Amino acid sequence: MSDRRRVNGPAGTTLPPVFDDAVFEKLDTRNGRSRPPNATRKLFLKTGVTPSASGSAYLEIESSAKPGVSGLKLSCSVHGPRSLPRSAPFSPHIVLSTHVKYAPFATKQRRGYLRDPSERDLGIHLEAALRGAIIADRWPKSGVDIIISIIEGDQDRETSKLQGDEVWDMMNALSGCITVAAAALADAGIDCVDTVAGGVAALVQDAGDGSTPSIVVDPIPSEHEQILAACCVAYLPTRDEVTNLWFRGDLPASDLELYTSIVEHGIQASKNANRVLIDCLSGTVG
Amino acid sequence: MASSQHVLLSPAELAYLHASLSLAPPIRPDGRSPTQFRPLVAETGILPGTNGSARICFADGTEAIVGVKAEVERTAQRSGDETVFLEEGGAGGDDDDEEEEAGQGLEKRKGDASWVEMTVEIPGLRDDDSGTAFLAAMLSEALLADGGFTKRLWINRRFHWKLYLDIILISPPLSYPLPLLSLTTHLALLSTRLPRLKSEGDEDPFFDDDWAAAPYLFPRTSSTNIATAKSTTPAAAIRPPITLLVMAVGNNIIFDPSKEELAVADVALAVSVTGSSPSHYAATGTGEEAGRNLRLLSIRTVDPPSRLTPPGLANAANTAYGPSNGTMGTQKMAEARAAETEAAEGVWRPPRGGAKRMVLGALVQKVLERGGVVDEVLDALEGVDSG
Repeated sequence: MSDRRRVNGPAGTTLPPVFDDAVFEKLDTRNGRSRPPNATRKLFLKTGVTPSASGSAYLEIESSAKPGVSGLKLSCSVHGPRSLPRSAPFSPHIVLSTHVKYAPFATKQRRGYLRDPSERDLGIHLEAALRGAIIADRWPKSGVDIIISIIEGDQDRETSKLQGDEVWDMMNALSGCITVAAAALADAGIDCVDTVAGGVAALVQDAGDGSTPSIVVDPIPSEHEQILAACCVAYLPTRDEVTNLWFRGDLPASDLELYTSIVEHGIQASKNANRVLIDCLSGTVG
Repeated sequence: MASSQHVLLSPAELAYLHASLSLAPPIRPDGRSPTQFRPLVAETGILPGTNGSARICFADGTEAIVGVKAEVERTAQRSGDETVFLEEGGAGGDDDDEEEEAGQGLEKRKGDASWVEMTVEIPGLRDDDSGTAFLAAMLSEALLADGGFTKRLWINRRFHWKLYLDIILISPPLSYPLPLLSLTTHLALLSTRLPRLKSEGDEDPFFDDDWAAAPYLFPRTSSTNIATAKSTTPAAAIRPPITLLVMAVGNNIIFDPSKEELAVADVALAVSVTGSSPSHYAATGTGEEAGRNLRLLSIRTVDPPSRLTPPGLANAANTAYGPSNGTMGTQKMAEARAAETEAAEGVWRPPRGGAKRMVLGALVQKVLERGGVVDEVLDALEGVDSG
């Protein structure tokens, strides 16, 4: 029995009318990357933003020159180290738990309040990156919670069509998460072997058919025609070690140099982020 | 997380295991060579209610089942140049238009990552456990990385197949289940068949009800029809991806580590690769190149459980035995501090920090070697008779 008391919408889906407007046309043109290929975007980092947490940090990555493109805004708080509950089994190390959550309004598509699989996935990546940096055996029987909320995801709101960009955005978000978590850990006074920072590099194909793929650091998906491969690296500069490596793409196996050079560029981006991190931390100390 | 389940090994046992795995050549507890996989039993087509299914049982007792089910789904329309309206795309469409479509069909096909849904179930772990989400993300990432897979699910501009991959580990997770799940998924996808399409163009899809006529999702090119293999495009000959678990201990690179071996890993990587089918490279026939054209799809570091193992204590620093017995105080503290920094022979220390770039590079290179482990595994899986 159909509902006759209310005025219902049509049963099928409808499409909003799209008018062929000159203004739209102008916005829709892709403008390419304005930075040089080896330059990362500007980064703002501040520690101690949440007084109630034992350590916290806020990170903002500048939005590109194109209007309507938001930057990345992350807030991280570290609670602990604190003793594990009595019911928890003995652990000779600090128990690390990481939560990464997009705010419901952070991306083009609304996120629910429950963490979805991609957010859990980010959390695991972050955990792997931080576990290598923390000196875990100095805190037996204790736990630390690292909570990151992504207030604004790095997404282009103008591009109307979905082009499978989310995964590349996830890489950018992860590198930001790693950097901001390292700052918050340092703010909380948790011993680390080194400050870890994240960096992203990608092999991109720019508009124009004749152009050969090139490697850029800190890619913005909407600035390029296509991203062929990308990698996110968490890197400890003084030890020259990688704690987390996430590569995705499609590369011929015979061309291992290409892969190596993408990773090298990712490390370069991570070093850039690390400089900001060190400046920020030494600013709070001095 | 599944990889970091506690291993019940004492620091002394871990130190012994680490030392024997760092030898050249390494001595593995189960006597395998560094590149050798655990022996396995595999079969396909075991679930009659699915489009494709497989079961793999490893010799250590871990066993997984994968079922692939497909449903026809209406493609979400977005307003744009390629919007199809019912009137123009219906059965009354003019014929020349459709022929033209058939010509350029392959290029026009578009896939979307949401057309594939993967669930992983591991007994003893909650559905929303992060480790399970990580495994599912890793497996689906490999499948979607090249974007070619979802194009196979395209029916016409209005409809597509939605593929559900349900991966169930039916034994308790005795080892990190990634290689097992990946190989089972590979086999299940190889045996997946979708009903043959009878309708044309952008009509509502109508399928042949003869299951024997259903084509494989990954068309097989047997050695008898090399001529057809030649005519197929390289993209069609691509096999589903496999994800291998590789770890480094000392200077050694070890494939398919068991749980105990993973507990002493310096670094562990999950590498996803794909390759073309063997008959295809035989057909395209540049004779001197042995092996397939492999493609690297994704790499992830797996957080090795070795970081969570309890550290050992040298006898000298042990207050219960050894020379410092009874002399408490500052001297003991200093010794304990020294023990934290210095590595001693035979005393287990969980790895700290990350992996050197060279080590990561060597791991990836070893996986992608021509005629290496990946070729061996793909050949072996190709040999499994899919019913």
